[in-house]
Amino acid sequence: MGHAFAPNPCQLDVTRSPSVAYTECVSELANVHRSFASAAEDHLDDVYRYLLYVTANPAIAEDLTSETFERAFKRWDRFDVKRGSAQTWLCQLARGAALDHFRAERRRTRREQRVAGPDRAAEVELPEEYGPVLRQALRTLTGAEREVIALRVVLELDTKMAARVLGISPTACTTRLNRALEKLEQKVRPRLVA
Amino acid sequence: MSPELIAALRDETPSAPENLRDRVALIAATPAAPSRTFTFRRALLWAVPATALGALTLAVVVGVITSSTPPSAPTAQPANEQPAAQNRGRPRAALNRVRPRAAQNGLRQFPPPLPAQEYRAIITAAPNGGPAPSRRRAQQVQASLRLLVDDPDDLSAATQRALRTTRRLGGYLVAVDYGTPEATEGSANVRVRVPVSRVQAAIVDFSNLGRILGQQTRITDLQQRLDALTRQLRRAKGDKVRTAILRRERIALNRRAAYATVDLALTTHEPEQKVVPPSRLERAVDDATGVLTAELAIAAYILIVASPFLVLLAAAFAGSRAYRRYADQRLLERT
Repeated sequence: MGHAFAPNPCQLDVTRSPSVAYTECVSELANVHRSFASAAEDHLDDVYRYLLYVTANPAIAEDLTSETFERAFKRWDRFDVKRGSAQTWLCQLARGAALDHFRAERRRTRREQRVAGPDRAAEVELPEEYGPVLRQALRTLTGAEREVIALRVVLELDTKMAARVLGISPTACTTRLNRALEKLEQKVRPRLVA
Repeated sequence: MSPELIAALRDETPSAPENLRDRVALIAATPAAPSRTFTFRRALLWAVPATALGALTLAVVVGVITSSTPPSAPTAQPANEQPAAQNRGRPRAALNRVRPRAAQNGLRQFPPPLPAQEYRAIITAAPNGGPAPSRRRAQQVQASLRLLVDDPDDLSAATQRALRTTRRLGGYLVAVDYGTPEATEGSANVRVRVPVSRVQAAIVDFSNLGRILGQQTRITDLQQRLDALTRQLRRAKGDKVRTAILRRERIALNRRAAYATVDLALTTHEPEQKVVPPSRLERAVDDATGVLTAELAIAAYILIVASPFLVLLAAAFAGSRAYRRYADQRLLERT
């Protein structure tokens, strides 16, 4: 998971000769580009899984994953490996993209309800290849509960990193995870036993 | 939590589909966009040192420009007029540096006058008692002494003592001008004549009357003129009128050579000293320091005035972030 990222090209030593500095700058830019590609390849599944849990919709998760990597590509020069891993940074971006999507969706729903009256949103039919536990989790848990399970259980982030992505304290993160798992376990235990 | 549940969650969560991989790979293959050159943090990083540099430059420029004009009339002024006249257009720090005690009396103080004992020691230690008159030649001796006394009472006592000393040494008083126009100030000008052979003793004794502010001794030789008069008298034997005139003149010369004139000036207030104008570099540094101080004062004033608003702004910012976090949480819980 861990990946070594190149430093910012702007931090190159400009005291060297111009030709050497230019060559190094081009080389560093190529490294940065290659680093983003490597990070995208390494963490694409993580981001997709996280967004799948948060949105509970495979199509939306795909779109938001794509959007997340577009944002990451534009802001790649701001990424600082000292402040956290690429996985954490990408998950933070993915969470922002998901929240933006939910806000836009809520506004759209309100507009439609004002015009056409209240209507229950159609439930997403998950494909058969999704397992029963996952389907149950996506149906019965809230988005906040699903994202903490995604971060802590599926992506196996430690408590500190997961709390950082969620913007809460590590204690609150642990509490939320325990409650979500307890709730999920009550729903799926009969199936697991069977 | 049950391990089966966790294992099931991990196993059943699918990976990203192939079409998504292609889309992300396409994004990664896109040429790198130019990084944003202007950010708030970057601007702040530049703004703080740039402001400090600008303030420093302004102070230096103002200091150099104002120091190019020479200070006007660096002469002594009365104590009650000096600050208002010279402080105009000058930074306070510069004035305080030039006249550190200006706040107390508006004057630059003299170096401490020589104590009388020390002065006396110098006179006695000097060869022949300093500029002493010759005992073999007729000389006209004139001395003046300026002394500082503490108050009008001291002035009166010193004047009387000077007269007593004069009489004791065989001299006499020529003139005295004594006055105390104010209760705390006064001056006395005494002119006495004492025998030339005792003039040094008189000066030493007068120097004990107060702190010496100034002293001058002038010796003019009269022996040549006296010798010439003697020769003329020898030649003028028989001419009674001319002989009488020459004799009177010789008597007058002998009197002048016999007694020394001592002018004694006693005063209760110190004279003012000429203010030495500072050099251009000093003025530039003083003015630049003054401008920098003013800039710091303005910055502190702005900070003090704006601090409540800054606190409110920070509170509003923190509140909006907390509310946004809360709203995000609620949004996710409803999803």
